[in-house]
Amino acid sequence: MTEDEIRKEQAIIERSKNNPKAFGELYEKYFDRIFNYIFRQTDDEELTDDLCSQTFVNALNNLGKYEFRGFPFSAWLYKIAGNEVNKHYRKNKGKKIFSIEELKVRELVEQTAAGWDEELINRLIHYMNELPTDMIQVLELRFFEDKDFKEIAFILDMTESGAKMRTYRALDKLRTNFNLKVKYDG
Amino acid sequence: MGKHEIRLRRQRLTARGSERFRNYGAVLKQYGEERRMKIITRIFTFIFLILALILVFIVVSRWEKKQTVPEKKTSQTEQVYEIKQVV
Repeated sequence: MTEDEIRKEQAIIERSKNNPKAFGELYEKYFDRIFNYIFRQTDDEELTDDLCSQTFVNALNNLGKYEFRGFPFSAWLYKIAGNEVNKHYRKNKGKKIFSIEELKVRELVEQTAAGWDEELINRLIHYMNELPTDMIQVLELRFFEDKDFKEIAFILDMTESGAKMRTYRALDKLRTNFNLKVKYDG
Repeated sequence: MGKHEIRLRRQRLTARGSERFRNYGAVLKQYGEERRMKIITRIFTFIFLILALILVFIVVSRWEKKQTVPEKKTSQTEQVYEIKQVV
């Protein structure tokens, strides 16, 4: 995001504090990303619709408290969305779902030795089911949302080094257990 | 088994898929309703606090009245006792 874009976004936020209709521009810009982020954690369109609306309503309600801390505005929306999803699972005491696109997994993981077959996919899912939930959250934000560690730390309320450590551990296990090469820029 | 479930989806999420849920009008309406509810809750809380303060004031003033009445009585008896002693 360029400085000019950030400045424009800040101007919209300032306008939205007095006129909620102005926030529509940011809603249009970030709706798809936030919707997809929530959908990956629910696998339910109707529920995602509710949580997504609530995310933007909460953002409007707390816009007065928002201050620029060097992160794009979207990071703040991701944080609110994550809190909404967690609130939903706490309330319903259900198992958190991570719905991952197979194509995206294939893009990220390059096969090296073994062939990319159903058995490998099943093993991979089984392995990911065994990982701690917060590790999956970090992986999701890193690989599916393309967030950097600084932003991930802000969204998940953890330290940057904590986010890095969790990602490296998960990837190391993936490399050793599956003999896979992960497209990863560090 | 962790506290989560990984599901693999064959189809990729598209902007078109989420398009039918995009409705800023509904978000604004919900925001307006929540704002109204917040204002009403604040007003009720304010009224409740004022009523509670009035109630506390009434209770304290009544208690003070009750406290001063027996004090007077004892002071009278003390006076009588003192007179008797003098006599």
